[in-house]
Amino acid sequence: MKIITTLSLSITAALMLTTAAAAQTPAREGTSATRTKAGVANWTTYNGDLKGSRYSPLDQVNAGNFNNLEIAWRFKTDILGSRPEYKLESTPLAVDGIIYTTGGTRRAVVALNGATGELLWQFALHEGKRSAESPRALSGRGLSYWTDGTRRRILYVTIGYRLISLDADTGRPDPAFGDNGVVDLKQDFDQDMGDLDTGEVGVHSAPAVSGNTIIIGAAFREGFTPKTHNNTKGYVRAFDVRTGKRLWTFHTVPKPGEFGYDSWLNKAADVNGNTGVWTQVSVDEELGLAYLAVESATSDFFGGKRPGNNLFANSLVAVDLKTGERKWHYQLIHHEIWDLDNSSAPLLMDVTVDGKPRKVVGMPSKQGFFYVFDRATGIPVWPIKETKVPKGNVPGEWYSPTQPIPSKPPAYGRNGYVESDLIDFTPDLKAKALALASKYQLGPVYTPPIISTPEKFGVINNWAQGGTNWPGGSFDPETGIAYVFACGTCISSTGLLPPPAGLSDIPLVVGVAGQPVTMIKGPGEGAGADSPAPSAAPGGGNAGPPRLAVDGLPLMKPPYATISAIDVNNGSLKWQVAHGETPDFVRNHPAIKAIGGIPRTGQSTYQIGTLVTKTLVIAGENQFTTTADHPRGAMLRAYDKQSGQEVGAVFMPSTQSGSPMTYMVGGKQYIIVPTSGGNASGEFIAYALPGKK
Amino acid sequence: MKFALPILLAFGLAGAAVAQDAGKSVWQGIYNPDQAERGRAVYSERCSACHGAAMNGTGEAPSLIGGEFISHWDTMTVGDLYDRVRTTMPQNDPASLTREQYADVLAFLLKTNGFPAGAAPLDKRSEVLATITITAAKPAG
Repeated sequence: MKIITTLSLSITAALMLTTAAAAQTPAREGTSATRTKAGVANWTTYNGDLKGSRYSPLDQVNAGNFNNLEIAWRFKTDILGSRPEYKLESTPLAVDGIIYTTGGTRRAVVALNGATGELLWQFALHEGKRSAESPRALSGRGLSYWTDGTRRRILYVTIGYRLISLDADTGRPDPAFGDNGVVDLKQDFDQDMGDLDTGEVGVHSAPAVSGNTIIIGAAFREGFTPKTHNNTKGYVRAFDVRTGKRLWTFHTVPKPGEFGYDSWLNKAADVNGNTGVWTQVSVDEELGLAYLAVESATSDFFGGKRPGNNLFANSLVAVDLKTGERKWHYQLIHHEIWDLDNSSAPLLMDVTVDGKPRKVVGMPSKQGFFYVFDRATGIPVWPIKETKVPKGNVPGEWYSPTQPIPSKPPAYGRNGYVESDLIDFTPDLKAKALALASKYQLGPVYTPPIISTPEKFGVINNWAQGGTNWPGGSFDPETGIAYVFACGTCISSTGLLPPPAGLSDIPLVVGVAGQPVTMIKGPGEGAGADSPAPSAAPGGGNAGPPRLAVDGLPLMKPPYATISAIDVNNGSLKWQVAHGETPDFVRNHPAIKAIGGIPRTGQSTYQIGTLVTKTLVIAGENQFTTTADHPRGAMLRAYDKQSGQEVGAVFMPSTQSGSPMTYMVGGKQYIIVPTSGGNASGEFIAYALPGKK
Repeated sequence: MKFALPILLAFGLAGAAVAQDAGKSVWQGIYNPDQAERGRAVYSERCSACHGAAMNGTGEAPSLIGGEFISHWDTMTVGDLYDRVRTTMPQNDPASLTREQYADVLAFLLKTNGFPAGAAPLDKRSEVLATITITAAKPAG
């Protein structure tokens, strides 16, 4: 049974206090524009706009004063659920001085006073078993805002996959939308979901809202050990923002007769799933196109049940915003078997290439390639070459002989690991690294997975985490430069084994020789406010394969993570910096001390998103460090966006776990960092310069 | 399998600007071997499915072994770690073990990470464990 909890205070009163009721009339229906007016600047979508930019023109906080930032307010999310959350990934919105965000293990929605952090209203849907069974629990990545100049709505998807429309002023469901403010996304889905509580689908991302259209994607359980290849299909749908009526559906796995169906041999499209869009959807409102970054098909590392290239898996698809009709598509990886699914929001950039103005779409990726297309036609701006790749020898697998590899810009992140990537700080460490690596398969990008054996446990790779994962990139619309974080050493070993009876109908799933093959949990699975009953743990197995570490140091060389500036006007890497303090256990290691230390390494994590302002690129750290300069904590760092030089850093009591955003209210610029990690539960921390302005 | 953790952890902490008080630390034998053995059994049954038989982590569940894990908790207290585990783990059924079992699991975790055993078992009271500091670097001497 659904229970709704609402705590409602007066937004109007808060607005009068904080913004002097700054004009709320948008340019047109949709998300109101980012603007600076009467001391107010907004951040009205997850990415700041529908183009995926994560950009704000604000410059009150700049290189000259970044170090003076102080905590203006903090909002702890512990009470927004039955227990605290340690994986807060939501980026808040700021609309005319009010902060809207999801938070907590219940994925509640709150409205906060942007100047003080005071709670104005709270809404939550208690979904019971349906939430407990969800493949995508926790607070999600955020929510969306819509207005027609009069009505103002907050839209989000619950843990149980319901689309909710709330009155932005009161937090109460809009009775004109769906069934009293709720659209059940498990229905009207062009496929039978069976039991609506247990039918597998959910989503983390914030809805994309443009004009009267809401676009919703889909996400599923971790694809390492799925129960069935015939999983739910991740169709993309659009809904009317006023009524909740379904407007269109795009079949990411084509139905018989539809374009792309024959890219699944032996009618495999009928019996395979996933292929959802779990990251943010970007929209070009002038061209009237929505850009869908589609994930992989079932399963992540074995595709023997789906021979063929598998459209539209791993494709960028441009669809008509009004009809959902496909305008163009480009498949970035054919017959994907690496978990290199599309993770980033498409970046819609206006640049100048060879002297000509171009409207392009750029795609950061887990595989460290930045793909650039004309966004009206889908034609690559620089050639993308079909390149021969190694064929694997996993029984029953179907391999694509080639994969598309961009000629420009150069790869900005590591996408393969070979001997020259192993640590070599000292000959002894190098020798140990080689000995350890001999138990695994090394190889360049698109080295195929292997069967796990005691001789070769698996392929060392950064497939699942990237590269660039869900935070995606950002860009500067004034210069056409994209800024993209990439993890350089988010490595693991991946091998395949047959599942035990009852685990899966897929012949091979992720496993390690000598270890029992068990279901691998996805992000936040089982950690939501409604937690499912515990499953029995299998025993057995030996101690397992060795850690991917040598004398406690990471097996692979730094940089452990980078931020890259990619000039999309000419397809070049403008600058690249290691992002993040060298971890304590590396910086303080005797072998590192003995060689007199090493340059800053960055930190191995996939959680980092960047914020771009008039002059700065801003991102926090995801690991705690204790240094001579600061007690245990993490730093929020600012880089000069032209040079990449660090121009400031302020202390954070916790670590960045969601992407930062910025806004202005009362003439004061704030930067909110979503934080969590270690023993620190979810908290939004707002920074501003000292003093009243 | 044994790893080189004691070596890893036996370094001096750079920048002693962050002062440690002279209270008890994880290097002073704060659990005993029997307790760690009990903890191994509980870990195997309730924790290893996600964190791995050798604490190496699987999927989203992080590794609980090595410098990265320990330095993440550096300067915090055993009480902080105990309450984090007690109130949130197992992830799908938090607070479902007894306080003794959580202490046993923690003892096993400390042992696996190369911290020395002592004579007395790890206390089960958060407020007592909050007086024991986690120090990544083994104190000199």
